[in-house]
Amino acid sequence: MTVGIDNITLSVAEVMINELKLEDVTPETFDPDMDLVDEVGIDSMDLATVALVLQDKYGIRIDEDDYPKLTTIRFIADYIEKKLQENE
Amino acid sequence: MTAVEKTMGRAFAPDQPEKAWKFSDILADPAIRQRWEKVRRYFFLRESTYDMTRRCNIRCNGCYYYEGEKQHARDNPDAAAWRELMQAEKARGITFVVLAGAEPSLVADLCRVCFDQIPLGAIATNGLKPIASDIGYRIHVSVWGNDETSRRVRGADGMLRRQIENYRSDPRAVFVYTFTRENIDEAGEVMEILAAEGCRATFNMFSAPVGYAGGLDHTPRTLLRTRKTMMSLMDRYPETILFSAYNAVAHTHTLGLHDLYGCPYPRMNPSTDVGLGRSFRQYRTDLTWDRGAACCVPDTDCADCRHYAAGSAVVTARMFRHAARPDTFTAWLDYVDTYLAVWVMGYGKEKNLCNELIAPPGHEIFEI
Repeated sequence: MTVGIDNITLSVAEVMINELKLEDVTPETFDPDMDLVDEVGIDSMDLATVALVLQDKYGIRIDEDDYPKLTTIRFIADYIEKKLQENE
Repeated sequence: MTAVEKTMGRAFAPDQPEKAWKFSDILADPAIRQRWEKVRRYFFLRESTYDMTRRCNIRCNGCYYYEGEKQHARDNPDAAAWRELMQAEKARGITFVVLAGAEPSLVADLCRVCFDQIPLGAIATNGLKPIASDIGYRIHVSVWGNDETSRRVRGADGMLRRQIENYRSDPRAVFVYTFTRENIDEAGEVMEILAAEGCRATFNMFSAPVGYAGGLDHTPRTLLRTRKTMMSLMDRYPETILFSAYNAVAHTHTLGLHDLYGCPYPRMNPSTDVGLGRSFRQYRTDLTWDRGAACCVPDTDCADCRHYAAGSAVVTARMFRHAARPDTFTAWLDYVDTYLAVWVMGYGKEKNLCNELIAPPGHEIFEI
């Protein structure tokens, strides 16, 4: 499965916006390096929700110990890309 | 066949490999989806707890407050200092306060200051002194057995009668019945009285303080007997008791909450990445806090912790692992629904989705 890191980044941003009902931001304007906890204000339950949706979307397994550390969209996109490569 | 069994389908067939569930498949069940959408609206809650005063009007065997260092902190009766603390707490994202030791009703003015700044929260009280109705927090009234037992263990006469007089018909009040090793068989008579008076109740488990040798802590046999009693009383008083089968499983296991789920409070969790490990504080009466001691019931022996307040965070925080199967996710939803009904003013408990005993992820149901 070849998705491309830029597409994954946009897709993660879209999931984040949809699941967490974030306003005033689009996938294109969402700064992928923004700290989701400190700067966006999301918490562990939000991250868990996003992780569950991304597992479904990409057919990967996110370890429970990993998702609390995925605190920027770029980290998440890189993590997904790595998992997809492992699955190839 | 129950709704959960229908949703699980092949996963219940013993000769088939277990299905790998997608979260979206689990949410395809309308009842599960509806409950999920209801509870997730409260994911904004960020909790911290506060000891309000060193004083109490009774002395109970096994009281959490009068253990360890925190009991020696000086009172800070300055309303302005409390207001400043609450403003700072709000600024760092705290949206839910738990006002606890030793007896918050003795410093109602300070409770009011907290309520004025952060309007969601709960007060843990022995219920002997009524808290003014303008303080709109949940009120948790602690019950440790019938009046004879309360006289012996808590040194106060007519406790249940006085508690009911103070909180009958009060929409804030939830009576919290703490099961000890020796009061299991009294729960029925207490629930009958509370139901007749139109009160609501939930269950707590006595969890021994560090070094406790007072005889109220549970054994495997009393844990199992407590679970059976909880299930029976839930069945008998569904309008009175805010609880679920999964609450009963989680809180009467021989393993404590930490061993079952991994406690996320700072005292047991060094991570400050996100969640309680990052945001939770437990303030003493002098408005200081200590990360190494920070949890909802400090000085409890973590290996024996089955406390209802701890479970409200420990089990609730573990959504991810429960969302692997419809049965565990449904059980988790019942648990969160119970937690919100017990702790958050204005949240109405729904009918439980699952009345079976579901094992915690990665564990068996405890049986003898």
